[in-house]
Amino acid sequence: MDLEEKLLELEKRREGIHMPHVYYGDPNKDFTLKLIKTLVENGADLIEFGIPFSDPTADGPTFQAACERALKKGITPAKCIQGIRNLRKNGLETPLIVTTYYNIPYVTGIRAFLKEIKKAGAQAIIVPDLPVEEADTLLDEGKKIGIHLILQVAPTTNKERLKKITDIASGFIYVIGVEGVTGARENLANSTLKLINRVRRYTDVPLLVGFGISKKEHAAAVVSAGANGVVVGSAYAKIYEKNLEKPEETLPEIAQLAKQIKQGCIEGYRQYLMNNR
Amino acid sequence: MELRSEGVLVLRKGRFGKYGGQYVNEILMPALIELEEAFNRYYPTPEFQGEFQSLLRDYGGRPTPLYYAKNFSELVGCKVYLKREDLLCGGSHKLNNALGQALLAKKMGKTRLITETAAGQHGLATVMAGNIFGLETEIFMGVKDMERQASNVKRMKLLGAKITPVKSGAGVLKDAVSDTLREWAACSQTTHYLMGSTVGPHPFPTIVATFQSVIGIEIKQQILKKEGRLPDAILACGSGGSNALGAFKPFIGNKDVKLYFVEGGGESLGADNSAAAFQLGKPGVLHGALMQVLQDEHGQIKPSKTRAAGLNYPGRGPEISYLCETGRVNACYTFDKEVFEAVKVMCRTEGLIPALETAHVIAYLLSHREEFGRGEVVILNYSGRGDKDLKAIMRYFYGP
Repeated sequence: MDLEEKLLELEKRREGIHMPHVYYGDPNKDFTLKLIKTLVENGADLIEFGIPFSDPTADGPTFQAACERALKKGITPAKCIQGIRNLRKNGLETPLIVTTYYNIPYVTGIRAFLKEIKKAGAQAIIVPDLPVEEADTLLDEGKKIGIHLILQVAPTTNKERLKKITDIASGFIYVIGVEGVTGARENLANSTLKLINRVRRYTDVPLLVGFGISKKEHAAAVVSAGANGVVVGSAYAKIYEKNLEKPEETLPEIAQLAKQIKQGCIEGYRQYLMNNR
Repeated sequence: MELRSEGVLVLRKGRFGKYGGQYVNEILMPALIELEEAFNRYYPTPEFQGEFQSLLRDYGGRPTPLYYAKNFSELVGCKVYLKREDLLCGGSHKLNNALGQALLAKKMGKTRLITETAAGQHGLATVMAGNIFGLETEIFMGVKDMERQASNVKRMKLLGAKITPVKSGAGVLKDAVSDTLREWAACSQTTHYLMGSTVGPHPFPTIVATFQSVIGIEIKQQILKKEGRLPDAILACGSGGSNALGAFKPFIGNKDVKLYFVEGGGESLGADNSAAAFQLGKPGVLHGALMQVLQDEHGQIKPSKTRAAGLNYPGRGPEISYLCETGRVNACYTFDKEVFEAVKVMCRTEGLIPALETAHVIAYLLSHREEFGRGEVVILNYSGRGDKDLKAIMRYFYGP
């Protein structure tokens, strides 16, 4: 399904959006496919599909370890794209947002890379080390090929940059909730909620908040504050990394968390509507 | 003032040809913009220059001498001068940049410095500079490097740095840079990342090269005084390129001066045993910049390998990448074995113990004597002293 259609549909259903982030191939390909299936069956609306990179500088320890394990198993970008094809072949309709550090598309060639992920069945791309200053090529090629470049905003982003970023954003905007790197955090910072408000003043594009979101209450709080949804990544990886020998055994626990997060998104939206009546 | 790299055409801001750029997360962009503005605002002022120059002189010991190495010259057949950066306080060229950036950080109102180090020289220089300006210092260092450069770890601890061991990856410089960038993302509003080499996102490569170019400016004055002419060649070792660019920059426009950049060949050029990115790498994006970098065919960065911790980085900074691509600078390398032998030669001919990094240029000259004619004036940028490597050197020659 088209990304914008899906976002509209969720808006009509008055639900916050739940986007889990996984790194493909950790600890093996089959598990990631099962993981995505589990997540989708338990309330994932979009999937952020990570292509592992050797030096993931925006990622915290949990996802660093995930990338390292996947690369040790011989995962390559080509195998990841094959993974997307397999998901589509198996009937997955959920929009897929590819995440990768810039060197991966750079060495393939930006156009060739975008064409390949488009053909395989992806709708958008997130490149955590590509600020707007360097994004022209990817934006232009993405527009031609039909891949949204999902831009990020952060607590450090000032007015001028917010305007620049929101002006060219498409699909949705990834709001980095805290200064730092990815990773589950215990508490939601008050500043995250303020940031949502600040970004909202500049745009109607859907806002998905990530970095540190790991609980139902976090999801409910950010959605009720005006965000359209949440990104949850390391919190899921932290569950299966406890049992890397048989990660499938952790899928019920992952399903449980996915349901709770989605519930948080739904309740958050309800709260938001009440607050803004 | 526009940031401009002397003698190099800068087409786009922060670009050297296609190399350079600002490939960082949005979180860090405001800090980079703030840093560029601060550098442009403070660096040209008489006040900044006065403070910086007097520290280089009275604390650092500049100018460092240009020493005519007579015995070594007789051995290799050309006229060799050593630019004695080993005599700079701290034992290497690293203090030039650390003092400059720490002063800048202080002007910007930052309260803390973070950085990464491999040989320990940059970490040491950073905590020295941090202490002068009353800035807290945290140093990220790969666990493997902490072991092989233990004496510098002790120095940094004694000076009061917080040392954070980096266990991820191979526990070397590449991993320490990644962790410092991660830390910076969490604290960029209060903390300055004191980048140690001419790598990373713009404006770091330009700032570091500017602060290090004092080396080349002095070389020019000193050689004109001693020889009445410019040198025929300058050799410098490097990975990111800070001591090399420091020595080269004032000579980029003097086309008759041959410039040699010697990288760590490691054990051999095969099977991931090297740090020779100009021989084995290709353009790619790592740690915020497009540069020449060791990587596999899929774009995954490969670890580098050399016995010299300070050359053990898979990337070459954007400006040195560009200068080697255009042919202005010759990219060359030497192997570990030649490097250890070169240490011995320098010890016996001139009574100086070079750092393993520095020994790369000595080794290159020893094994390529035929490239340098009799009577040619050749300058080796003698970037650091070898005290930190004593254990490794002794073990190499005399066993454990």
